[in-house]
Amino acid sequence: MKTTTIRQSFERQVEAFTASAEFQALETGHADYEAFLENVARAHLKSPQLVAFLYALAPPAAAPTLQANLLEELGLGADGERPHPALLAELIRAAGLGHRLQDIEARAADDIRRIVTDPLLYGTLRDVGLAALAEIVAFEFMLSRVAGRIARALAQHRGLPAAALEWFTHHSEVDVRHAEQGLADLAAYVVYYDMTEDEALAIVELALRDDVFARRYFGYRSPAGAAR
Amino acid sequence: MRLVGATLYALRIPFIEAFSHSATDRRVSESVVVRVRDEAGTVGYGEGAPRPYVTGETVETLLDHLARDLWPRVAERALPPVTDLARLAGFVPETPCDAGIVAPHAARAALELAALDCALRRVGRPMAALLPPRRQRVMYSGVVTAGSIERAVQHARRMRAVGMRHVKVKVGFDDDVARITAVREALGSEVSLRLDANGAWTLERAVEVLDAVTPLGIAAVEQPLPRGRVNDLARLRAETTVPVMVDESLVTEADADALIEAKAADLFNIRVSKCGGLARSLAIAARAAAAGIGVQVGSQVGETAILAAAGRHLAAALPDVEFVEGSFGTLLLAEDVAVESVRFGHRGEASLLTGPGLGIRVVEARLRRLAIDVRDLTTEG
Repeated sequence: MKTTTIRQSFERQVEAFTASAEFQALETGHADYEAFLENVARAHLKSPQLVAFLYALAPPAAAPTLQANLLEELGLGADGERPHPALLAELIRAAGLGHRLQDIEARAADDIRRIVTDPLLYGTLRDVGLAALAEIVAFEFMLSRVAGRIARALAQHRGLPAAALEWFTHHSEVDVRHAEQGLADLAAYVVYYDMTEDEALAIVELALRDDVFARRYFGYRSPAGAAR
Repeated sequence: MRLVGATLYALRIPFIEAFSHSATDRRVSESVVVRVRDEAGTVGYGEGAPRPYVTGETVETLLDHLARDLWPRVAERALPPVTDLARLAGFVPETPCDAGIVAPHAARAALELAALDCALRRVGRPMAALLPPRRQRVMYSGVVTAGSIERAVQHARRMRAVGMRHVKVKVGFDDDVARITAVREALGSEVSLRLDANGAWTLERAVEVLDAVTPLGIAAVEQPLPRGRVNDLARLRAETTVPVMVDESLVTEADADALIEAKAADLFNIRVSKCGGLARSLAIAARAAAAGIGVQVGSQVGETAILAAAGRHLAAALPDVEFVEGSFGTLLLAEDVAVESVRFGHRGEASLLTGPGLGIRVVEARLRRLAIDVRDLTTEG
């Protein structure tokens, strides 16, 4: 399977994300930084569980990278590494939002609960796995290009120290590699499970929709006067 | 038990993606949730989705009608016992219709559902006690919204990816034939395909498009002509082999009678909010059955779990249902209002809701967060 179309789709989403008014506000000191940080933590606190699920479904060609990714998420990849949820918790505390952490964790847990308990849209575990993999890889792709900018904005406008921003700096460095490998893993997944390109693209598009990054990081926006 | 309190929540829930058709372009839900409370503290929830181009109601007129006309006539009155649905629904009085409004049905539906939910919850019984289901699962249709043909094809592929067996495509544009052809190609030949023009065609245009696409296998065409053109609908039926479904033309029981009399429809699209609640929806369905007209249980775009639950109970209970729509839940809404997900799953299938009342647990904190207007109508001090 060619990854060109998926890459283009990810690039379009990253472009839309960075061009959004909310992202501009983040970089110019006019954002609701507390809400942003809470949304980021909520979006990623349960990533180890999702990666573990994907590792269980991984085709042989993608298993080594998903295993490495899982160990990294758990803080077991190399000496001195810390679990990513701990990095996110530290980020929240450093931002003075420690009192909100329990609620953020509860909301992240509720998101996972819904993923598990909502009726499955897809007929096979194969399709469910592709949807989950697409979202994980899409975020790696975006973070590899944008995490550094976000970290700089948070340091400049929210005064967060470098240590607190490790989750972002880690992803900006690591995810360049992850993102490329992720696209290759997506292709391997589609080939291994004998999916057509059209089938795979439809699932990827449905998983991401139009603005997955903005929705996760900035919440849902209610366009003024849109409904008639 | 007397009803002693009501709270109206005008909701505005963002959509994950815009939903478009020939009559509107919608990016947020617009509905009103009614919460009633009896003197023992039991609560019940109902919802109405006002649509100016369907019943003539707006969020404002609905709120006003509920606060000014409906609530004062049920406040401090005792809810009837849970014996039959018609008697409970009759608790909601007939009210006059303001100028410019076809029927205040969204308001009526909201209060009726809240009263039913409250009465059933008070005795811990499910909706099946009033509306026994005839099937254990309901199969929903997917919808391909308007927009570019490329976008329509993308949506159709998504529908196919999740195994939908029935799909409806919005039409009413210059490129209808190309659009329908492209969607059919994307869906494959095994998926049942319907069209919905939302009243955008003239009789001549309807005949032209339907002639062109009939070979593609079209299960039905919904609201091809604007509301009010009953005789033209009858003429269209005579000129096409595609079954004609009425939606905006069918709001009241009088509409149903007129459509039957004129032999203007093969199918009725019955929507709980549009038709004024479950009791009136059942009455229209009974007229359809007696006249040999098929039924679709439809939905309002952006309805929450409350109307979706009511629609599911109706769809499960009617003797014969050709198609069912709705229950998109968080596929469309950024957030829904109930603990339980009402969203359909693979192939559009969904199981019955068996908990007390409507079978869902509404989270009031979410209503307050998602509301742009909250009105308390309590009779107590």
